[in-house]
This record gives sequence, C-alpha cells and structure tokens, in this order.
Amino acid sequence: MSPLSKHLRRISTLAVVAFCGLLAGCEGLPAIGVTSSEGRDSSSDLMPGTSNAPKPLSPLSGKLTITGSSTVAPLAAEMATRFEQRHRDVRIDVQTGGSSRGIIDVQSGLAGIGMASRQLSPFEAGLTAHRIAVDGVCLIVHKTNPVMTLTDEQVVAIYRGQVSNWSELGGADLPVVVVNKAAGRATLEVFLNHFGLDNAEIKADIIVGENQQGIKTVAGNPSAIAYVSIGTVSAEVERGTAIRSVPAGNVAPTSENVASGLYPITRPLLFVTNGELNDLQTAFIEFAQSPDVTDLIEAQYFVPPNR
Amino acid sequence: MTRLRSAKIDRSVAVVCWVSAAAVCATFGCLLIEIIRAGYAEVSWEYLTSRPLDAGRAGGIGTVLVSTVLVLLVCLAVSIPVGVGAATWLSEFTTPGSRRARFVTGCVNLLASVPSIIFGLFGMVFFSQMLNLGISILSGGLTLACMVLPIVIQTTYSGLRSAAVELRLGAAALGLSRTSTLWYLLFPAATNGVVAGLLLSLGRAMAETAALLFTSGYATRMPESLLDSGRTLSVHIYDLAINVSGAESRAYASAFVLLILLLLVNLSTSMLAERWLRTRQTA
Repeated sequence: MSPLSKHLRRISTLAVVAFCGLLAGCEGLPAIGVTSSEGRDSSSDLMPGTSNAPKPLSPLSGKLTITGSSTVAPLAAEMATRFEQRHRDVRIDVQTGGSSRGIIDVQSGLAGIGMASRQLSPFEAGLTAHRIAVDGVCLIVHKTNPVMTLTDEQVVAIYRGQVSNWSELGGADLPVVVVNKAAGRATLEVFLNHFGLDNAEIKADIIVGENQQGIKTVAGNPSAIAYVSIGTVSAEVERGTAIRSVPAGNVAPTSENVASGLYPITRPLLFVTNGELNDLQTAFIEFAQSPDVTDLIEAQYFVPPNR
Repeated sequence: MTRLRSAKIDRSVAVVCWVSAAAVCATFGCLLIEIIRAGYAEVSWEYLTSRPLDAGRAGGIGTVLVSTVLVLLVCLAVSIPVGVGAATWLSEFTTPGSRRARFVTGCVNLLASVPSIIFGLFGMVFFSQMLNLGISILSGGLTLACMVLPIVIQTTYSGLRSAAVELRLGAAALGLSRTSTLWYLLFPAATNGVVAGLLLSLGRAMAETAALLFTSGYATRMPESLLDSGRTLSVHIYDLAINVSGAESRAYASAFVLLILLLLVNLSTSMLAERWLRTRQTA
C-alpha cells in the first residue's frame, strides 16, 4: 500500500469517527425543541394546595428554560440548583440577556419563565408576574455626618454638583464628595430611575464598581455620600462600619420597609409567565416564593418580599 | 551635512521602534502583573475542579472549564476542515484574481469584519432556533466556527501561497497528482499558516463573550451532551464582573486561569506543529 493511500485511509477513518461523535452528541435532539412544554406531558403527583405540607420527592421531571434579566439570573440559577437537588429528574437552564429578552422569550414560548428586574409595561399585559425578591438602593453617609435626612431634591442637587458643601445642607463645613456607580451596575439604574437623573449629568468625584467599594469609600471619608444595595448596608452597620443610611422620604431603608413596599427606591425582581402553567413551572415558582430560598435571596443582597 | 542628518533620522527611527517595542512589553507586563496579583491567591486545585456555588462567589470553575473545552472542540472540528478546504480551493483550484476567486475572497473579508455580537444574534436565530439546537454547546461552537473561519482561511491561504513556484513546477514535472502535491509539498509548506490560524482562532474563540451569551449560554451544570447549555470561561468572567457583587477577586482568578490556558495552548500547538513538520519531511 502506498504511503499516500495509507494517509488517506487514516483521514477517512478519523472523519467517520468524528461524524459518529457528532451524531452521538445529537441523540438528545428531540428533547430540546420542546424545552418548556415537556413538563406538561410528564405525570406528576404534585397536588395544588398542598404547598405547606413538606413535599415528598415527587416524580417531577422535564426541562425548564428561564431567560431574562442579568440581575435576577444569578439568584434564579442558585434557586434552580437547589431545586434540581430536590428533584433529580428536573433540568432548569437559566440564561441571561436582559429583562426585555425574558419577556419576549416567554411570549414566544422559547422560555417557560422569564426574568425581569422592572415592572411590566402596559404593552406586556396578558403576562403574569410573580414577585420573587426586591432590590432596593439606599444612600449612605459617614457615621459622623450630622445630616440626618435628605429630600429627593437635595439628593438630585448633590449629584448634579449644584450643592458642593455639607454646610448648605445643615452639616459641617466640608466639601461633598460624590460617589457614583460605574456604568452597567444595576444599582445605578435603580438610582437614576428613582431620581429622574441622567448618568451624563452626574458630577461624580469617585466612581466605584461594587457595593463593598462604595461602603469602604464612605467609611473612610467623613464627607462622602454614596448609594449601595440595601442588602449590604444592614450587615455592615451591625458589623460597626462607620456608615449610616439616609432615609428616603422619611422611610428608613430597613428590610421590613422594603418588603412591605413603603420604602420607595426599589424595583421588583419578577418571574414572568404566559398563560396556563405546567406542573414544573408551578412547582418552581412556588419554590422560589417559599421560605426555602430566603437565604439565597439574602446572599445576593436582595430582600425577600412579604409572604 | 546630509550624512549627518540621515544619521540623526536613523537614530530617531531606531529610538521610536525601541520605544514601541518596550511599550508593547510594558502593556503586556502590566496586564499580567495585575491579573496575577489580583487572581493568583484564589486559584487552587479545588477551584479548578469544583462547580461554581453562590453565583460564582464560592466553589470553582470545573464545569465551566469542561464547557469551554467542548465549545472550542466543536468550533475547531468545524472551522479547521472547512477553512483549510476553502483556502486550498482559493489557492490551488481557481485562478487568483478571477471573478470567482474575488467573490469568495470578498465574502471572507466581509465575514472577518463582522462584529462578534452579530455572530451571536445570527447563531441564536439560525443554530438555536431554526436548526432547533437550542441554547447549547453545539450552537455556541458552530457560531464560533463561523466567526473564526476567515482567520483560518486567510492564514492557510497565505501559507499555501508562500510555497515557492518551483515546488509546484517540480511536482508537475515529476507527474505528481494534485492530491499528492498538496499533501507532500504544499500542506507542509503551509503548516505555519495553519498553525497560526489555529492559534489565532483558539485565542479569539476563548476570549469570546458576545457570540456565546445567546448561543451556548449561562448554565454552570456539568454538560452531559453537546446539546446542553454550558457557560464558557469568558462568559463566566463577564458575569462575575458585571452581575455578581462581591465576586471581583473570583473574576480575576478566572481571568488568570484563562491567561494560563492561552499560554499553554500557544506552547503546545507550536510544539506539535514542529513535530508534525519533522515526521512529514522524513516520511
């Protein structure tokens, strides 16, 4: 046999092997097309109305795709992991892409559940929103700062650079050091949205990325003001960090006030569904709204809603 | 007088070149030091083998690494044969400068200038939805293959063209068939080009986020088949840096691993290519 044909034979063998490998990989093909509807066909003994009783390991099975808000995605992925541990035959895939994508995907049926980190708009009527957590933002100043309250107008003036000294707000004669969040941060969006500000008009002295960075900056600077996710503040205050939260509209930024909806600078984190729910969707949404996931919500610095 | 001036120009050109070279090294050095400084401490065997926990703040990147490797394998398994085939056609089976050749070259160049997010959207619509592959490693790998195809074609093509005309003439004079000429003379001569293409595509594919976010997705579970969704390393870094507060050091640790992987790929590919070349020449 000539060396050339030996080479060719080797190549063709390789090609066949590779093709078989691809085919083997494709075996699950039909399962993908029916992503969210599969759970509907599966038998389930999960009775509606028995959610308070401890559930036995039910034969819940199938695949559920969840897409949407990148703010909710890490939380949803954690919930999905815990849910999968309890129901071995269930696969929940969490994908990101923004709130609008979640809503579009749930309308088109690509996703069984959409994630949104904003209220649904009137154009999105017909969908059902399930609140799973609340994201709140609060302003923080240094512990020694004598200014106890700030009106919305004062906050806007500070962030626009129209007020540059704490004495103008009844504080000490210190320049205001404005701390802003980097573009793309979820807290930035909530903040801008509530105060009707545009990021371009903010005159920031310091720009931080993470909540922890904002807290450290304020704790180390008696004249700084920043805003951070509410979930991070209470733990830091308990730990004795030199910061103090500023009430918004006379409502203290406590978890209770956020959960009850009294505190204004918040946004809901939602699961969105379209039409009738199958057993798997129902079970997962019930699970996501149960006390079983409170620790997961708090670990992502969000606040569990009133149940 | 003129000699003095030209000496001066010579010297300043030399200085500019030296400074540019130093600037390149300094940029790379700063990047490397920053990533190593911020990420090194978090990297351990445990980190490399376990799955992400608590949205990536705890646990490791084991499953993410598996998904990354699978996506890259799919990408290369498709793009290398197709790319080398297309480059061979352009170089050997058609007259350079002919209308057909110009058309194909134009397509390749256009493909090369398309931003990766467009590939991502295309992949989501074509592979995930129309071909019904879903958000899966297969969709992601195929999307990446489309993206790196022009790189493979361009480098292979220039490798093939760089083979001396004498080689082709000699082969023709000896009455070697076209396939033999390709296999024994032109492909070995083009090896460097193919390897360069392989490296560049691997690098680009590994670093890709936008094209994969919508195609191979976000799941951190251990993939069971090519049709499962799997998060790649760069998507993981992106998510940790943007969406997960308190995970900045973890993002750096993942970036550190990505950097090491790229270096390893670089080294091993060039070593393999050298060995391949040597065995071919003695065959």
